[in-house]
Amino acid sequence: MKMLSTLPTRLLFILLATALAGCGRKESAPTTTADADAGPSVMETDLARTVAEQTEFYKIKTPADLPTSLNWVNSDHLPEFANPNAKQGGTFRYYIADFPRTTRTIGPDATGGIRTYLLDYIGVPYVQTHPNLPGEVYAGLAESWALDQSTRTVYFRLNPKATWSDGRPVTTADVVFSFYFMRSPHLREPWYNDYYTKTYTAISIYDEHTFAITLAGWGPDAVVRAGNLVPYARHALQEFASDWIEKFQWRVLPTTGAYELLERNIERGRAVTLTKVKDWWARDLRFWRGRFNPDRYRLDVIRDPDKAFEAFVRGDIDMFPIGQPKFWYESLPDTHPEVAAGYIAKTKFFNKTPRPDWGLWINSSKPQLNQVEVRLGLHHATNFDLVCAQYFRGDAVRMETRSDGYGWRMHPDITARRFDPVKAREHFAAAGFTTQGPDGVLINATGQRLSFTISTYLPSLRDLLPILQQEALKAGLEFKLEVLDQTTGWKKMQEKQHEIALIALSRSVELYPRYWEMFHGSNAYEDAYLAADGRFVLKHSEGTPNPAPSKVRVQTNNMTMTFDPELDRLIEAYDEAETLDDIKRYAQDMEQIIHDQGWWVNGWSLPFHRTGYWRYVQWPEGFNAMQSRNAEEFFLHWVDEDERAATAAARRSGQKFPTQILIFDQFKN
Amino acid sequence: MPRLLPRLSLDPLTQKKLRRFRSIRRAYVSFLILTAAILLSIIAELLVNSRALVVSYEGEIYFPTYGAIHTGKEFGFDYDYEVNYRALAERIAAEPDSDNWVIMPIVPYDPLENCYPGEPFKPRAPTTTEGHYLGTDQINRDILARLVYGFRNALIFSSAFLVFTYLIGITIGCLMGYFGGWFDLLVQRIIEVWSNIPFLFVVIIVASVIPAGIGMNLWILLGIVVLFSWTSMTYYMRSVTYREKARDYVHAAQVLGAGTGRIIFRHIMPNILSTIVTFIPFTVSGAISALTSLDFLGFGLPPPTPSWGELLRQGTANLNAPWIVASAFTALTLVLTLVTFVGEAIREAFDPKKFTTYQ
Repeated sequence: MKMLSTLPTRLLFILLATALAGCGRKESAPTTTADADAGPSVMETDLARTVAEQTEFYKIKTPADLPTSLNWVNSDHLPEFANPNAKQGGTFRYYIADFPRTTRTIGPDATGGIRTYLLDYIGVPYVQTHPNLPGEVYAGLAESWALDQSTRTVYFRLNPKATWSDGRPVTTADVVFSFYFMRSPHLREPWYNDYYTKTYTAISIYDEHTFAITLAGWGPDAVVRAGNLVPYARHALQEFASDWIEKFQWRVLPTTGAYELLERNIERGRAVTLTKVKDWWARDLRFWRGRFNPDRYRLDVIRDPDKAFEAFVRGDIDMFPIGQPKFWYESLPDTHPEVAAGYIAKTKFFNKTPRPDWGLWINSSKPQLNQVEVRLGLHHATNFDLVCAQYFRGDAVRMETRSDGYGWRMHPDITARRFDPVKAREHFAAAGFTTQGPDGVLINATGQRLSFTISTYLPSLRDLLPILQQEALKAGLEFKLEVLDQTTGWKKMQEKQHEIALIALSRSVELYPRYWEMFHGSNAYEDAYLAADGRFVLKHSEGTPNPAPSKVRVQTNNMTMTFDPELDRLIEAYDEAETLDDIKRYAQDMEQIIHDQGWWVNGWSLPFHRTGYWRYVQWPEGFNAMQSRNAEEFFLHWVDEDERAATAAARRSGQKFPTQILIFDQFKN
Repeated sequence: MPRLLPRLSLDPLTQKKLRRFRSIRRAYVSFLILTAAILLSIIAELLVNSRALVVSYEGEIYFPTYGAIHTGKEFGFDYDYEVNYRALAERIAAEPDSDNWVIMPIVPYDPLENCYPGEPFKPRAPTTTEGHYLGTDQINRDILARLVYGFRNALIFSSAFLVFTYLIGITIGCLMGYFGGWFDLLVQRIIEVWSNIPFLFVVIIVASVIPAGIGMNLWILLGIVVLFSWTSMTYYMRSVTYREKARDYVHAAQVLGAGTGRIIFRHIMPNILSTIVTFIPFTVSGAISALTSLDFLGFGLPPPTPSWGELLRQGTANLNAPWIVASAFTALTLVLTLVTFVGEAIREAFDPKKFTTYQ
């Protein structure tokens, strides 16, 4: 009820604030009430208290404390990946599948939705991974940085030109605040609280522009771990307190990025339009120039992809991802009138980026599935080869290991086991399933049928699952299929109630994959490792393996219920390894164990992204960055409004352009 | 019970009603077509199936339609799984002087199988040469086969739906009408509350929470739908029971010392049967539509169960393959229209006012 009475007042206030901001006096626009003279806000008081209390974490120092031996580096020697001469201006029209439930970029309901356009794709972090050169970073808010492995500390110098979209400078005050913010229980994001507590051990402030982040562990990607963070604007979050979720539900915070979302550009339920920040501070900065080119970025809400496709072909939106074979081959064939006339271009871009690990996640704690032979039989009985070749029309390829798409192969010669009913039957026979029942399903001596349920929560897999089901029968294996609602399905898998799950976890672009979450025994059982006094401990190195663990750990990504002490030992060594050579060595051993034990049946990956766009949308040479996961991610495209007008005129007059079916395979393996 | 049945078939009044029903030609023809379709769907395995009807192989006769599978090895192939009878038929046809023969059903496809092994999965247009009279869906399954088996599933669902909703609805409705008073008032209020729960919404929530084990699912789905559908029948039953209760034969039965159950089910029930009968076709069409819409929304039967709603969903997602949506839509419209024709005629035939006609 309280919400109801305060909402109109708040809206009015924000409208006033934006109106003032629109008058061109951005520097003094009162974005929050905290600028009033009423003394420090509740947040500031709490922040000051926290900093005073946690001196081990928040270290306020002087420039004189800065080590003199540091080797400051920057990214001036690296090549850019955008086209600095990209045409600026114009409006780009695209779509989102759902109207966002909040404009917060963190907290409940913030994941998905509009967050990618407010933060993930847009926000400027201190440094960012170079999408064409894995292992390298380029400058964002930081203009230079220095690494000190002996103290596990990364030093950063902020670019003095860096400003928020409301004109205020980005300083180390924001950096300190961001750590306080991410570690605060008010945030209601336990994952972030945990991550920011476990990954970082200290933050040191030297002056307005110099700070250092100390990491709990070191590795070849230390600079990314410390620096690929986007700060939050301290001055805009003065009201941050336990009730911030509701207060900030529809507030848009100042950004370091090129686009901002203004209240007047939110059309409830229908569309949101991002606008280019006026005189954006990084517009001439290397690696940032030539990106985020359109002045307006309109996102219409179109809930159904098929409808969005129709809107695209009609010209209501400028671009559409046509990755699915249905769109690429059937709905938008090369002979499609708009394609043949050259109005719409079709592009296939081979990327190189960590692949989502599509495959069957076998719950090895379930009866029968705890036998290696049954699991290996499942590998040979699941016809993902057919799925790749005929369902995906040969576009998809098998995942050869769990970790394909990284800069190097995690294991030089492991390949996925191919579909082979005869070999599958041999493995099943070794597990005791020797006779074939009247329905063609194998049974063992005690009369148990070889039957498992595959669960998924992705409606898009409804058509793929029956293919696997029909093929598995050839190996005497019955798959039952279960397509659950998203929340229910995810919950079931996180509680390890499933037998087999067909899912994938999306992977962020990282230098090397993670194994701890998916395969460490302590993520399968709470009592996986016991200390000498019988306490449960998290690590192999801290205790001894429990021969009969019984307490299932829920809400973890170890959905294969893997518990293998040798693998756990390797995972721990891998996580502590500091050189890339060690990391590679451990990764190879771990991939071998995972392959031999067969907890995960290798699924498919799509080694490219495909996009359809109107010819007035233009791209840099080579189309996109190597690690891009979709055409839009790095905002390298621009809109040529003159060409838009020319295209419209050509469509009326029937004039044709050269057909554009473009394949970019410079990053293909 | 033995007295109930003769009364239904021999009662001159009932006979008159049946004659009247038969005289409405449109309905009578619809009724015959529907009956034929239902009977045919019962033996669908003999008409639409990838298993052969009869195989004569090396001097032995096989009837593979029902019962255990025969492996490829039994017929000279090199695999242990079920033999592909179409491939067998082709092979035998190519053998010049063999005594073996295979008789395949009219539509030699199963509703679940991929009919184009080795080729991309995509909707294929209808052909007569390969026996895909209505084409295939997006994973190469024969649409006619899926329509036929989907029809059978819809029938099973709607008959079971009919039995359960009527069982609950009639019992509660009759009790309300017979007892009246506070019992009637109380149950009426409960029903009002219950029937105000948005049906489809609840079905979607409950269906998404229940884990979908195959086989069980049809019954779970049925349970949910019945749980929220029995209420409408109670209103009619309550009012007709009120009316019948006041008649002399009920009083006579009471005086003779008959119990409540006996009076309701042996005396009142036969006299309100005509009301029930007129509702049946509309309940059936309602059940088919409910199942189809739930399947369309993805909350119905689990894949790969053949169903019309699932075909409609596929069809709307593949508008460039119009034969999918056209087949499912035509079949659905046809069946619902036939059922409605029958329903209207039954209502007319059972109407005591003889000269009223429904246009």
